[in-house]
Amino acid sequence: MLSLEEILKQAKSAIETATDLKSLEDCRVHYLGKKAKLTEYLKTLGQLSPEERPIIGQKVNEIKQVIQQLIETRSEILKQKQIDIQLAEESIDITLPGRLFNSGSLHPITHTCHALRDIFTQMGFIFMEGPEIEDDYHNFTALNVPPLHPARAMQDTFYFPNGTLLRSQTSTVQIRAMKTMTLPLRMIAMGRVYRRDFDLTHTPMFHQLECLMIDENVSFADLKGLLIQFLHAFFSPETAVRFRPSYFPFTEPSAEVDITCLNCKGNGCRICKQSGWLEILGCGMVHPNVLLGANIDTKRYRGFAFGVGIDRLTLLKYGIADLRTLFENDLRFLRQF
Amino acid sequence: MKISESWLREWVNPPLTRIELSHILTMAGLEVESIGAESSESNDTIDISITPNRGDCLSVKGIAREIAILTNTSFKHPSISSIQPTIKDSIPVRITAKTDCPRYLGRIIRHVKTDTPTPEWLKEKLRCSGIRSIHPIVDITNFIMLELGQPMHAFDLDTIQQEINVRRSQSGECLTLLDGSQKELDGETLIIADSNKPLAIAGVMGGMDSSVTLTTKNIFLESAYFSSKTIARQRQFYDLSSESAYRFERCIDPTIQGDALERATQLILEIVGGEAGPAIEVSNKENLLTECIITLYHENVVSVLGVAISTGDIDNILTALHFQYEKKNNAWVVNVPLYRPDISIPEDLIEEIARLYGYEKIPAHHAIAKLEVNLPGNEQNNHSAFIRQLLVDRGYHEIISYSFVDKPLQLLLNPEETPYELVNPITADMSVMRTNLWPGLVQTLIYNHSRQQDRIRLFEIGTCFQLRNAEILQLSMLAGLITGSAYHEQWGIPSREVDFYDLKGDIESILHLFYREDKYDFRLDKHLACHPGQTAGIYIGDKKIGMIGALHPTVIQTLDLPKNVFIYEIDLLALRKAATLTIHEPPKFPEIRRDIAILIDQTIPAKAIQDTIKSHAGDWLKDVYIFDVYQGKGIAPGLKSMALALILQHSTRTLIDEEVLELMDRVMTVLKEQLGAVLRS
Repeated sequence: MLSLEEILKQAKSAIETATDLKSLEDCRVHYLGKKAKLTEYLKTLGQLSPEERPIIGQKVNEIKQVIQQLIETRSEILKQKQIDIQLAEESIDITLPGRLFNSGSLHPITHTCHALRDIFTQMGFIFMEGPEIEDDYHNFTALNVPPLHPARAMQDTFYFPNGTLLRSQTSTVQIRAMKTMTLPLRMIAMGRVYRRDFDLTHTPMFHQLECLMIDENVSFADLKGLLIQFLHAFFSPETAVRFRPSYFPFTEPSAEVDITCLNCKGNGCRICKQSGWLEILGCGMVHPNVLLGANIDTKRYRGFAFGVGIDRLTLLKYGIADLRTLFENDLRFLRQF
Repeated sequence: MKISESWLREWVNPPLTRIELSHILTMAGLEVESIGAESSESNDTIDISITPNRGDCLSVKGIAREIAILTNTSFKHPSISSIQPTIKDSIPVRITAKTDCPRYLGRIIRHVKTDTPTPEWLKEKLRCSGIRSIHPIVDITNFIMLELGQPMHAFDLDTIQQEINVRRSQSGECLTLLDGSQKELDGETLIIADSNKPLAIAGVMGGMDSSVTLTTKNIFLESAYFSSKTIARQRQFYDLSSESAYRFERCIDPTIQGDALERATQLILEIVGGEAGPAIEVSNKENLLTECIITLYHENVVSVLGVAISTGDIDNILTALHFQYEKKNNAWVVNVPLYRPDISIPEDLIEEIARLYGYEKIPAHHAIAKLEVNLPGNEQNNHSAFIRQLLVDRGYHEIISYSFVDKPLQLLLNPEETPYELVNPITADMSVMRTNLWPGLVQTLIYNHSRQQDRIRLFEIGTCFQLRNAEILQLSMLAGLITGSAYHEQWGIPSREVDFYDLKGDIESILHLFYREDKYDFRLDKHLACHPGQTAGIYIGDKKIGMIGALHPTVIQTLDLPKNVFIYEIDLLALRKAATLTIHEPPKFPEIRRDIAILIDQTIPAKAIQDTIKSHAGDWLKDVYIFDVYQGKGIAPGLKSMALALILQHSTRTLIDEEVLELMDRVMTVLKEQLGAVLRS
């Protein structure tokens, strides 16, 4: 019969040379199983003297625990090895492109509309829409441009056989707002407008935003404040804003608003015709004739309004030179938005 | 208006450079567009954009007056003295149309030498304003118009019979104009006529026959004041444009006709010689503009502008403007000069005050308004932002195309709608309003396809225009198309072309934003631009809200499009979110899935099979979906194999095998009896 030391020695050697979990399990059965040598050793305890019995018994148990420990340690190592092999086999080329489903894009004008919507919604303006085919009344007469008024020549308008027209300005929605909403009111309209012009800076269709506020005590100073806030929010707080007297039949006083040329930062360049300024929008206090036409008490209420070209804002924001690019819908252009 | 700077400086000459002067004018509402930048004109030209209300600034005199006010400089008016007549010749002037012509002045000048050339100094001034030198007398009248703002006309006296009659035309009268065009006059044109024929369309353009020529010896010179509306109407009616009409339409100064006549006579005598007759004047004072008197309150100025501008400042501004006023407590009673007819209400005066005070000195102020939730306006397209984002996420590019399109293309893509035509389209291929959004999408497809873009997914949201019983409907629509491969070519995805079901899936995801699956369906439908076997109407309940289909092969051929193009349109306003959603608690009991595979006639639509199952499987059926469809090898011709999954669940207990088996038997029996389906082993 082998000595306990000898068994331990053999077990150690066998465990250390086990190369996989299966042979390690064989070792466990061989050294610790029911038919293992140590188990046989325990069966011989009865032949020993009562003094020797506990000493040897304890020793057998100690060796059992050592072997157990050795197997567990070895098992951990082997399991780790096996995972390492699996990991090595499963490695992939993570630089291969993913199964990307390319997103499309919103049109740049839509991006601008969303930005404008955010700005004016914050200030409590509500959004309205109006028809694109309008009558003469909403497009001109109600806006203080009666027939034969020279201001009609400011916009070359598209007409239909029955005398209706394609609206040349979103100011038409002002009239609808004044008739349908209760005062005081703050509203914004965005949409397509049409004029008979086609060159680098004009397309026969473009987009406008119209803003109207009517309240008891609004002033030209309020209009200036609102426009400066809007232009700072849309472009940047560094943008200088300049107000010049101008003329629109539906506002009095009227102003044209310029911002510092975004290209040359006001130093003068080809885009701003060396002036350092870019004309951006027209505005003014709503003409009393417009308010009276909508049955608004001009002794109590005043209003201001402005209109701005959304396409022009878009061109300036993204530094696009040719307005016509916006309506060519070249995918190589659109993908960039 | 283009004008010579040195001419302006003859009238008013502030110690300012041209750039400084331009800035001052621009900041006062007379925007200087360019300073002699165009090569065709000399560096002496200043181009000032004059707004339609400032007819008073369409002359050297007017702009000089403005510069004098803005720069506090004195302004030199040339001395104009009455010409002593050297002959007694006169002609009777009769104004029949009194309201159209409140004042008419004229004079005969005999023995002019029209072969005398126009002096260079005069030509140069005309040239700066872009006016061609034509004839010494015409040049002089143009010069007066530029200088004083009074349009004038010279007639060849020898073509005039007996009298000058300013009257409305009779319908059918004819006149050949200076530009060579022949006009048949309507019954209300203001004309200058003699005793038996029209000589000129008043204020707009003279007649050819009565015009001065190189052989003219005797002239009749006209300096008149015509009503702006009269001139505007006839200028538009005959589709003419002239420097003269431009000024009359914007109201000229009603007090300068005499000055203009004397100054023109003086120049004519100096340049082409001749003998002047006495000035002839006919006026109807009651029809002339009268001075406008406006009461302006200080508090009104302050509250409209939002700046505490002082009464002293306002006094100074009104004085600088040469507006006569009387002060009454906190108000001014202002007499507006006749050359400023644009000023008629207090707001007009307030603008003048602000203009001279300086817009830049008005502080920016934050408006104060009530905090309140605005009741919804007509925000009909509010939900379009969600749809746009969904489509972008699914690979679509948003386009914006013109609302007016090519008529043949529109008719090809929507043959059943007659498009609404513009009277004055900008080009022939933009002459009708679109009846659907497909022309823009298809044109964009062609544009990009010819630029090597093969995988194309587009959508547009916009208005379409359809005629219904002479009424025009303006419909807010969503439309899109797909063509090319389903995915970008990629190592890990098998390559395939898009088909009907790709597009249908995208539309279903849009519908899912608004409706539960059982609220919408697709029904076989017809559209003349689409493939008859691959076209469906999109329905919410029984309301058709759109179309989906493959473009018809003949359309593909006609337009030379890629082979498979799938296209759709949806009425945007038909998509509405339910006001409130009904939410069900998640079930507590397990669900069971049972699959069946059947063989069935290939013409029976999938939806009929699903519906048959739904209507006979009872309440336990929560869902039934198709997970395989197969035709071909192993399946008899005319049949298809379809595999469906049924999801079953009881709301208050667990289902047991026996009852599930019984349900499946029942389903199979119905499929067999109603649709001829055979269970596939």
